[in-house]
Amino acid sequence: MNLTINGRTYQVADDPPRVLLWVLRDELGLTGAKFGCGAGYCGACTVHLDGVAVRSCQTPLRQAAGRAVTTIEGLARGEALHPVQRAFLEVQAPQCGWCMSGQMMTAAALIAANPNPSDEEITAALERNLCRCGAYARIRRAVARAAVLACGSGEAA
Amino acid sequence: MSQPPPRRWRLSRRGFLIGAGVVGGGLALGVTLGLPALRLALADAFEGAVPPTIVTTDPFLWFDIAPDGRVRLAVPKTEMGQGIHTALAQIAAEELELAWEQIEVVQSSSLGPVADNFGTNASNSVSSLFAPLRETAATLRELLRVEAAERLGVAPAALSAAAGSFFVTAEPQRRLSYGELATGATAREVPPEPPPLKPGAAWTLIGASLPRVDLPAKIRGAAIYGYDARVEGMLFGAVARPPSLGATLRRVAPGDVAARPGVVAVVIERDFAGVVAESRAAAAAAVRALDVEWIEKPPLQQEQIEAPVRAAPGRGVAVQRAGDAAAVLRGARVITAEYRTPMAAHAHLEPQAALVDVRPDRVRAWVSTQYAAGTAQAIARALGRNPRSVEVIPTYLGGGFGRRMISEVAIEAARLSAAAGRPVHVGWSRAEEFQNGFVRPPTHHVLRAALGPDGRIAAIEHSQASGDVIFPFVPAPIGAFFGADFGAWRGARITYAVPNITVTSERVPLPVPTGAWRGLGLLANIFAIESFIDELAHAAGIDPLAFRIAHAGDDERGRRLRAVLAEVAERSGWGGPVPAGRARGLACAMDAGTVVAHVAEVSRKPEGGICVHRVWAVVDPGLPINPDGVAAQTEGNICMGLSSVLFERLSVRNGRFAADNFGAYPLLSMRDAPAIEVTVLRSGDVPYGVGEPPMGPIGAAVANAVFALTGERMRELPLMGGNSNSPPP
Ligand code: FES
Ligand code: FES
Repeated sequence: MNLTINGRTYQVADDPPRVLLWVLRDELGLTGAKFGCGAGYCGACTVHLDGVAVRSCQTPLRQAAGRAVTTIEGLARGEALHPVQRAFLEVQAPQCGWCMSGQMMTAAALIAANPNPSDEEITAALERNLCRCGAYARIRRAVARAAVLACGSGEAA
Repeated sequence: MSQPPPRRWRLSRRGFLIGAGVVGGGLALGVTLGLPALRLALADAFEGAVPPTIVTTDPFLWFDIAPDGRVRLAVPKTEMGQGIHTALAQIAAEELELAWEQIEVVQSSSLGPVADNFGTNASNSVSSLFAPLRETAATLRELLRVEAAERLGVAPAALSAAAGSFFVTAEPQRRLSYGELATGATAREVPPEPPPLKPGAAWTLIGASLPRVDLPAKIRGAAIYGYDARVEGMLFGAVARPPSLGATLRRVAPGDVAARPGVVAVVIERDFAGVVAESRAAAAAAVRALDVEWIEKPPLQQEQIEAPVRAAPGRGVAVQRAGDAAAVLRGARVITAEYRTPMAAHAHLEPQAALVDVRPDRVRAWVSTQYAAGTAQAIARALGRNPRSVEVIPTYLGGGFGRRMISEVAIEAARLSAAAGRPVHVGWSRAEEFQNGFVRPPTHHVLRAALGPDGRIAAIEHSQASGDVIFPFVPAPIGAFFGADFGAWRGARITYAVPNITVTSERVPLPVPTGAWRGLGLLANIFAIESFIDELAHAAGIDPLAFRIAHAGDDERGRRLRAVLAEVAERSGWGGPVPAGRARGLACAMDAGTVVAHVAEVSRKPEGGICVHRVWAVVDPGLPINPDGVAAQTEGNICMGLSSVLFERLSVRNGRFAADNFGAYPLLSMRDAPAIEVTVLRSGDVPYGVGEPPMGPIGAAVANAVFALTGERMRELPLMGGNSNSPPP
């Protein structure tokens, strides 16, 4: 079957049944989406399906067929970082960084859907993305900043 | 990724290795740990609870200046989010007079260019490398200066350095770049005296909040961690896991597993069974299909683990003694309290992972490890190889927290790769992570004190008991010699000026593997001590801030503590109005040379439980190399500490840890993360660690705030109540 990931088409077998995360990481070499729990708790594996944040460790491959998959590797437009990436860099949000692909993908989907999120809306969107290093204060700041940057550049989508 | 140091170096009298660089000639300079430094390092190891291990004469820092002017600094320390590569680059670039963009930090492998004798731990990377790094960089600068002086025909003193060039001070257009000077400088002699170091007043990079060098790759999802390591032709491995704690293999029958589709090799050894397959899923399924018989112990229960951890005055080993606390307490009205902390998991978000390629003549391993050299030795032992033929290349780490001082996963991948003849990646599942390895031990603390008529502490006694923290990592005789685990009593000593002090630490052997967890004993000990200090302040009828200030010593550390307390009081408006329904608590600590104080503001959640709204933190790490980095580490320590203090308790049920995933072991989420305001103070010209010290006081700050709010003392972690881990699904 065909998978469209970051604008590129990949041919993958749809048998045996498996989840999107491991196909990305182990078969296609896209290791930007991370594995933290495999059970939907941590959000490290978050990617977009048609712009909506999903947990790729809980996403059957078939569910991704025919839809636009975006991973952290596809968030920037070439050299130009996505506003969320610019904000996370500006705020120096990552520590170890393992959770950060998921944090940024979740944030990008939030801002695309809600260009001006309140603090509560940011928390509601991000509270299921765990960060063991405890970078929450900066993640929160970075998401708010990303909304401002996106609004200035019209790049949110 | 790494090359061994050039073979043709000369050793200078001062312990420098000088030779041609590895990148197209140029100049390379390394520094070895001379014998005096070695002794110091070993002494530090015991003081600071760093496991002393192999100590070699290999260089521990390595500079390389290529003819094109690129400067690379090879470091042994691994990057796990603490910003260590950035801080070390700042120090080096400062002394070497480089522009910030001109330096690149390279992670050394276990084979070089530099040796990793201690691993990356105990908040000691910056503090231990600051002086040697500056001196090495300055030595390199002076070698280049002598070369430049001769080439430009002026006296060395007539030259100045800036942005990677030497120029004649009076005629700045006459200049030579380091790249142009590098090759010639290899023939120069290292000056016999240490070169002058750049004075603090002239620093522009040290003390600047420069952006982290590792973040651009991390932002793009391009940084490679152990779980991301990939090479051509690699396979995936999975390993049979014991069904209960302490179980060992009795017998494995492979059945027809080897014939399953995708299975490449079934590996059965005396104490090990695993499968190599073309996919992770195939390997995991094949391992499940093996017929494995285990020798199990009677199933452990939680009671067997926490019950023996009982401190009592007069037991254990004295780790601090001043005056005669027992005598003073005997006749006095004694205030006493007991505190407990539970077992905890590291729960770094990237599970253990390694990619290992075993060839007949050499082994290469890419591992998220805090300790490349130790991992290389462990692989060499497991395979019966010479450690010099094993190269462990540390990747970025998705969190370390002490757990990755040991990287069993690398040995597993090595055994599987040796059998399969192909590179094998092993990545643990979250359940494997929870069930295997080691955990933070439970602790128990008994504190007793008497107040004098002036309301000051006349005598204090801290008796603590803990499972092992550092002893599992050091040779048994060292443990026997010390008696008490110096990791367990990290933070246990009383740092206030009290005339009579006794602190004892009792080692409790436990039937579960325990070990180092971020800060070692710090979180537990400071929780107990700083909660108790608050109890004493209330008993004395003195404000907790004033009480602490009154007990700060007259020495340098006492002065720094007073400054930090005054600052946190000022920032938080201590003693001023607090929003309705909320209250504040204060706690502080001195650890690894760093002084830190937190004020936490809490309320009761309507549904029960504690809400931590805000934390004001003040940290004095001596000299903050990168103040924003210090702030980030402080914020992270507060949140990870809060997670542990509010929610985390790992228990054992029927022979297993009662959590296989985050459902049964919840971590702090953004919902419960407070707003944090960090103030970073500079008190001197020597940097101390920040990777752990700011975690120390957070538990007591919150518990003390809860007392201020409700009058209820919370003396047991986690504060949100006995999460006994939900039954396995
Ligand atoms: S790995 Fe998918 S939610 Fe944790
Ligand atoms: S930065 Fe390490 S888990 Fe979030």
